Amino acid sequence: MRKALFGVFLVFVMLFAVAASGCIGGGETTTTTETQVKTETKVETQTQVQEKVFIRFAGWSAGETEMKNYQRMISQFESKYPNIGVKYEVITQMFHENILASFGAGVAPDVFYVDSSWSPMFIDKGALYPVSDLADKAFIDQFYPFLLEPFKKGDKLYGLPKDWSMLALFYNKKLFEQAGLTKPPETWEELEQYAKIIAEKTGKPGLAIYLGGFNRYVPVAVSNGASKPWFEKPEDASWFDNPTVKETLTWYINLYRVGKVEMEKEGKTPYVVQPGDVGAGWLGDAFGQQEVAMVISGNWMIPFLSDQFPDFKYGEDWDIAPLPAGKEGRATMAYTVILGINAKTEHPQETWKFVEYLLGPEGQKELVVKAGQTLPSIKGFENDPDMWPQHKKTLSFMPDYKEVVVFIWGPKSGPLEGKFSDAMAAAMRGEMTPEEAIDIMKQIVQEELSG
Amino acid sequence: MFSKFSSFYEKARNKEIVAGLSLISIAVLLNLVFGYFAMIFAFYLSFFKWDYIGEMQFVGLKNYAIVVRDLIRGINGASYLLSPFYTGLKNILVYTAIVVPVQTFLAIVLASFANQKIKGQQFFKVSYFLPATTSSVIIALIFIWLFMKNGFINYVLTTVVPGFQPIDWINDKSYLLLAIALVAIWGTSGHFMVSFLAAMQAIPKDIYEAAMLDGAGPIRRFFFITIPMLRPMIVYVVVMGLIGALQMFDLAWVMAGANGGPGGAGYTVALDIYNEAFTRINPGVAAAKSWFLFAIIFTTTYLFQKKYGGAMR
Repeated sequence: MRKALFGVFLVFVMLFAVAASGCIGGGETTTTTETQVKTETKVETQTQVQEKVFIRFAGWSAGETEMKNYQRMISQFESKYPNIGVKYEVITQMFHENILASFGAGVAPDVFYVDSSWSPMFIDKGALYPVSDLADKAFIDQFYPFLLEPFKKGDKLYGLPKDWSMLALFYNKKLFEQAGLTKPPETWEELEQYAKIIAEKTGKPGLAIYLGGFNRYVPVAVSNGASKPWFEKPEDASWFDNPTVKETLTWYINLYRVGKVEMEKEGKTPYVVQPGDVGAGWLGDAFGQQEVAMVISGNWMIPFLSDQFPDFKYGEDWDIAPLPAGKEGRATMAYTVILGINAKTEHPQETWKFVEYLLGPEGQKELVVKAGQTLPSIKGFENDPDMWPQHKKTLSFMPDYKEVVVFIWGPKSGPLEGKFSDAMAAAMRGEMTPEEAIDIMKQIVQEELSG
Repeated sequence: MFSKFSSFYEKARNKEIVAGLSLISIAVLLNLVFGYFAMIFAFYLSFFKWDYIGEMQFVGLKNYAIVVRDLIRGINGASYLLSPFYTGLKNILVYTAIVVPVQTFLAIVLASFANQKIKGQQFFKVSYFLPATTSSVIIALIFIWLFMKNGFINYVLTTVVPGFQPIDWINDKSYLLLAIALVAIWGTSGHFMVSFLAAMQAIPKDIYEAAMLDGAGPIRRFFFITIPMLRPMIVYVVVMGLIGALQMFDLAWVMAGANGGPGGAGYTVALDIYNEAFTRINPGVAAAKSWFLFAIIFTTTYLFQKKYGGAMR
């Protein structure tokens, strides 16, 4: 008897092993369960003619409020289109890397965020479904045209932005007053001077910037007359040979190299810092804690400030100004994220329905305008009463800018941005001279783009 | 059907085979899929250029050539930004040279303390082992805080050592790797202590008794009985330590950041493989780099085993 029992036990162990190997097999098991679910719903609700389709939507998270807003929009969408179910997947870190890996494994979601700097890679490899095949022209024409430029290839459009942000100067009015300053700086030179004056008068650094951060430097170059950076072939490294680029990049690196590193060596108060130097996680945090008087950041900072620092009030305590001007006028950077549709999706029509719902006026009003996260990517909300005044103000600077550069430097923007920033950071810390950093950046372009 | 199986199973020999195979089947299967398949796929991948989305493109030995070029460049003194693999390799060799001997030595010392019959030894055993049960990311985060310029470690050092100037451990490229090594030593010696403790308790008591009768003091007993008897365990711990140290990723990732921190001082080979695969989107080059790392780990441990592992009981 006991032996028989042991035998039964062994059979169970083997069955378990078989089941485990089935699980390891992956994808196929899941599909079977899914079809089972489908057939069940079909039997239960006889009236439903269409089969229910499930699509997967992946995004990163800009906080809990945003996630809740999306969840709400998804349930509204599902009640409007009962035959489409949406599975919302939040990937909190290394978003594009995760999406790429899921492409490698063949389990990429149907619709997912793509940052402008990463989009060329997705577009070139045919990973994105051409939206122009799905959307009608009238729908596309609602969007700001300059935001669509980076997502065009040939005569097709591969993505529609869900929202966008642009850089502006955020300044602390109280610290300005203490330092005897009455208005925001007009030029880049003035920005540096103001930073020094504030540090002298208030003991707090005037300006915070990131170590590295090539995209934060680009408006300086463009406003001084350099062309927009674009790296498509090894020869494009010559952009760094432009004297304006060399001069402005050296200036930008020296902001920290002199403003922090050398000041401290001489035992003086630094006038430029990075967020970590004042115990902050990022620029918004440093500004909200009122540890620095000025930062250059985007619209994403606005909901963060009102959420985390409710006593630090817009208009009374802080204000927004356009980016300082260079020799050739003002320029700013725009950041945008599209909702990309997977080219291999099995349900392009249903996925498009969902994207159309989120990106259309109704969706943007809920997700962008009312929530105040960033700027809506379709026109017509400029004077909407629900638009936050801070966002309205940044939008009102648009005519001041001679150029709005979208964050994208060619087919390898993402990896290039990372490597440029490493080189800039090294020079800012004083590990190498700005000239050496520029040489390294040139070599990086040549290597990344030579096949 | 069942009776047939049952009669097959009645034979004692078959019983053992079935039991043995079914018990190891899950582990073997997991190992085949996640160990060997991944390894072979990485080898295959190392001859291709790929970006996860498009088709794989055969490039022969080009990926290996990229790694060799990186090494040559590094030897010729190029900036760490242009020779990341060399930088990672250099750092990780220094790190291994610091961590492995110290953690092994410390683990033996801790184990011999824990092996004494002193009051509250259970408390010490637990407190030494505790770091091994904590997530290395949490450990790293706590130590970042302790290592800050106005943090606890500098506070203690300035109070204890006269004239000591506070060090900016995390942001100074000459101390970052040392700081990471200290955390690793703190975190792993407790774990290896348990191995040594088990080995020590397996040493027959009569050997010590005989030595005591011959008049050998505790220090002599330690060096002439304990250490030689522990030799197989020392070999094991050093080999495991070598493998762990050469593959170090988590501590560097948190304490230095994905880019290796100031001057690339905390950059490691594993970080570079990760960056190559996921931020620079060159999985082929990443696979070639991991085979380089494998070759390094394999030769070091093989040579060590060959030299010292032979005398195992």
